[in-house]
Amino acid sequence: MTIKFSKKFYSLTAVKKSIKAYQSLAGFKITERKKTIEVLIENIDKDFKNVLVDEFSNYVLSEMKNAY
Amino acid sequence: MKKIKVKENKIVIIVNPIFYSLEAIYSAAYIFIDRAYLLLNESPKNQVAINIKGKEKLTKKQLEDLAGEFCNELLNCALRDKISKNNQKIREQIITRALFSAEETSNEKINKKIEKEKWQKDTLGIALPWKEKYGKSAQKQR
Repeated sequence: MTIKFSKKFYSLTAVKKSIKAYQSLAGFKITERKKTIEVLIENIDKDFKNVLVDEFSNYVLSEMKNAY
Repeated sequence: MKKIKVKENKIVIIVNPIFYSLEAIYSAAYIFIDRAYLLLNESPKNQVAINIKGKEKLTKKQLEDLAGEFCNELLNCALRDKISKNNQKIREQIITRALFSAEETSNEKINKKIEKEKWQKDTLGIALPWKEKYGKSAQKQR
């Protein structure tokens, strides 16, 4: 599963911080594109499979709010 | 502008950043973080697409209500942001004045302390204890 975060609204630092917080629940891979930060999420813990991606995006947003 | 996607349990609200600052959008999104999953995306014509996905399965009516509530909150946050920007100078002045006056009182306290201590100083050297002046050690020194 890949999430694309627009660089206009999300910073790389916020994404990295969120990955650090979630790294025990799944495997993450960041790819930086020109306008987006792509995060590939795999090997998701089976207990959180349904919610992890959405919860992760919320977490990144909260990191952005804290940084703003 | 709103797009309701009942099947995906989500709504997409497209907002013009001219009317709503990015800070207001972040604030409104942050308020809804416990009720929904939010993702901000770029939309054509430099607009902001706010994807709001319900944490539980929602009906079309509930999704519409959620979108309405979000728009109201966005307006609220935008107004707050505008007021805070308008009052920024006044707030800074109030804080500066408060800090300055606090510093003045602390200076006054120090001055008072110094004044209090001045009269306690033994400039003539008559406040020596008897032992020091006439005791055995003093006699030895003589």
